[in-house]
Amino acid sequence: MASLRGGICGGLAVVALALGLAPASAATPKDQLVIGTSIAQVLSLDPQQATEPKAQEILSNLYDRLVATTPDGKIMPQLAESWSIDANGVTFKLRAATFASGNPVMANDVVYSIVRLMKMDQAGSVHFKRIGFTAANVESIVKAVDAKTVRFELAGKAPSDLLLYRLALGTASVIDSVEVQKHIEGDDHGNAWLRTRSAGSGPFTLNRWSPNEIIILDANAKYMTGAPKMRRVIFRHAPESQVERLMLERGDIDLANALTAADLLIFRDKSGFAVQRVPTGGFYVLSMNAGNKYLGDPKVREAIAYGIDYAAIEKTVMGPYGRARTVPVPQNYEFAIPSPDWRLDVAKAKALLAEAGYKDGFSLTLKTIAQTPRIDLATALQASLAQIGVKVEIQQGNGSEIISAHRARNFDLLLPQTSAYMPNALGAMDDFSSNPDNSREANNAGNFVWRSAWDIPELTKLTAQAAAEPDPAKRGEMFVAMQKKFVELKPAVLPLFERFEPIVLSSRVKGYVGHPNMLTRLEAVTKD
Amino acid sequence: MKELSAAEIMRRLAQLLASIFVLLCFTFLVGRVLPTDPVGAVVGELADPSAYAAMRARLGLDLPVHEQFFVYVWGLLHGDFGKAILTGNPVSTDLAHAFPATFELATLAVVLSTVIGVPLGLLAALFRDGLIDKIARVVALVGHSIPVFWFGIVGLVIFYAGLNWVGGPGRIDVFYEGIVAPKTGLLLVDSLLAGEPDIFWNALSHIILPAAILAYAAMAYITRMTRSFTLEQLSQDYVIAARAKGVGPMRTIIGHVVPNIAVQLITVLAISYGGLLEGAVVTEIVFSWPGVGQYMTNALMIGDMNAILSATIVVGLAFMLLNFFADMAYAVLDPRTRETAR
Repeated sequence: MASLRGGICGGLAVVALALGLAPASAATPKDQLVIGTSIAQVLSLDPQQATEPKAQEILSNLYDRLVATTPDGKIMPQLAESWSIDANGVTFKLRAATFASGNPVMANDVVYSIVRLMKMDQAGSVHFKRIGFTAANVESIVKAVDAKTVRFELAGKAPSDLLLYRLALGTASVIDSVEVQKHIEGDDHGNAWLRTRSAGSGPFTLNRWSPNEIIILDANAKYMTGAPKMRRVIFRHAPESQVERLMLERGDIDLANALTAADLLIFRDKSGFAVQRVPTGGFYVLSMNAGNKYLGDPKVREAIAYGIDYAAIEKTVMGPYGRARTVPVPQNYEFAIPSPDWRLDVAKAKALLAEAGYKDGFSLTLKTIAQTPRIDLATALQASLAQIGVKVEIQQGNGSEIISAHRARNFDLLLPQTSAYMPNALGAMDDFSSNPDNSREANNAGNFVWRSAWDIPELTKLTAQAAAEPDPAKRGEMFVAMQKKFVELKPAVLPLFERFEPIVLSSRVKGYVGHPNMLTRLEAVTKD
Repeated sequence: MKELSAAEIMRRLAQLLASIFVLLCFTFLVGRVLPTDPVGAVVGELADPSAYAAMRARLGLDLPVHEQFFVYVWGLLHGDFGKAILTGNPVSTDLAHAFPATFELATLAVVLSTVIGVPLGLLAALFRDGLIDKIARVVALVGHSIPVFWFGIVGLVIFYAGLNWVGGPGRIDVFYEGIVAPKTGLLLVDSLLAGEPDIFWNALSHIILPAAILAYAAMAYITRMTRSFTLEQLSQDYVIAARAKGVGPMRTIIGHVVPNIAVQLITVLAISYGGLLEGAVVTEIVFSWPGVGQYMTNALMIGDMNAILSATIVVGLAFMLLNFFADMAYAVLDPRTRETAR
């Protein structure tokens, strides 16, 4: 019995000691920024490979690009000191900067990075392909004029600003070619080495990345404009929204950016915290498979557009995540047209379905990633469409399941999201208005419209013309025409809500401004 | 008590290996049936089909299923678990990092559940239908019926956010990160070895809540089983005889009942320990605990087969080894089972 008693006492002692001696609420140190988020999707930190938003947020602080975009969408210099634009291309002069390794940033590094992007040929190269860059021609397009000067020729007819905005993307980050070339294995361009390390000139360097646990960035003392104020930036994996909320409330993290709408609400009027709603220029979209026997009919698609209660869903489900909008150009962008009169109108939707020959309705499946707020959005759509006689069965899945079904055209309805790679009508509409070859053989799974089997030759042509138009006024007119055409065609990729990324910050944090493409830079952030 | 023969140990080891092979085949097949797409996760959603196909070939996913299985098993036999898509590291490196975190959590949980569960079960049986018994039954019922996820969140709300008694999610506070170099991977042990008491207490304040919550369900089971084993013994003639001779209830329990139920208890504890290793999954997610459970969950999300298979094998192996040792203990402590097994 003595041993039993001892066991109980010992156990209780451990509990008591731990409870009694646990450190009292310790606020995060003043020179360290702690961000609570989910890093589960961060699979690579190779800037020419990673396109996942959370990876972008980290990469944008490890690397510099030639140019960057300000949070309100203007081009600003980063590694480029200046640039001159002529009819055939853009020439960049580089400023004095060094990589964290101590190597100077040279024109050759810029050329190497862009060539590497095209030769690795992963998702990151897609935007450059759209303006005529290929693995075969990139070396003739991008050249080092001298040690500190780089020249980009305009491939095809795309005007220079389309190039500049692409050079501001995370995938155009400039890497230390001397360092990376030491670690090439076979034909991998150093990818195996670089995906878990950093070789950039950005304000921070990668100290540690423990998958699903933590990513630590250290200040780069050699940064071109001086060392950042934060000695360390820590991305702490906290995938569960409620837990993240508690950590923020208790001061264990300074910033949370993966909260559900319900947890966000708590911080709306709470003192000591600020909520930022970062516009992305992208949308939550209802993709309809036009290859489906019902959805191929524009009348059916129009009926569905009238069968959704946008206002109620915005209020109850989307909250800080979205604003109702059914044209794929954000409301406050230049040349945006007003949304069409699609709003819940059960009688009109039923009449359209009857005209199409389906007065008794039909059944469809809706695939969605099981993630806030899309999962709740799916349920709301199901309830809304039931009113017009369209029975919807929801199929949830993880990212890879749903995306592969989307790529394979294997769905009836699906709920993807988009983002704008440049802050103008073209940047936002790109995913919605171009499908050069709708045949199954084209297998253009990287194209958002192709996945919906939606054949739009006229709109595709108009988009290509707008992209090649150098005169801004004429281009503006074309943007308007594109949106009108889009509405007229009764889209199979129906934008529902403009997409925002809500974040909550402790008021100790100063100078944090969320970036639309998740390229938020942290060198100017300070803490009280 | 006779010694266990070498042949007997070999026979059981062979059974163990066969079980592992069956587990491997089963996990591989289930993995193949899942509609996940690791290639898309690597090359990105917007990648062209050519880039997609190239990566598919690089990952060996274009081979027929039986060849993929052969390649995988061949690698395993050579100690190569393959590379994880999730991290780009060899899976063995990832698991060497994740397993100690789970092991530390599950071990503390099994210790807590044993030191509380066994005495509680004994007392409940001894004072059958008394207050202690009723409390034990309620505790056991609650432990069985409330989901760990909910318990975890409530625990955090009360003890972490409200009372400020315990550390938050994760294994340690961020400003202690990276100070102690991992030797065993067990933070409590490593911090003591490194002579860093502050870090030890910080780590303990972080592990105590998830371990207690994980322990609770196991404790409920252990209490229930201990109670029923003890009740069974209490109705045996030898106990009645002992009591008739005037032996006190405590001495009866310690001197007679406990040795007789020890063998059964070992099995229960082994099952609980294995269950805790597996069951840590949900707890790890709630508490952002970087263990095998969380590693496996994330691997599942992208269909990273090397990582899923290897994590399954490690957990399965731990479970089987525990059963193996429990069996051995059984055979050593209770010669009757050994005789019949032969």
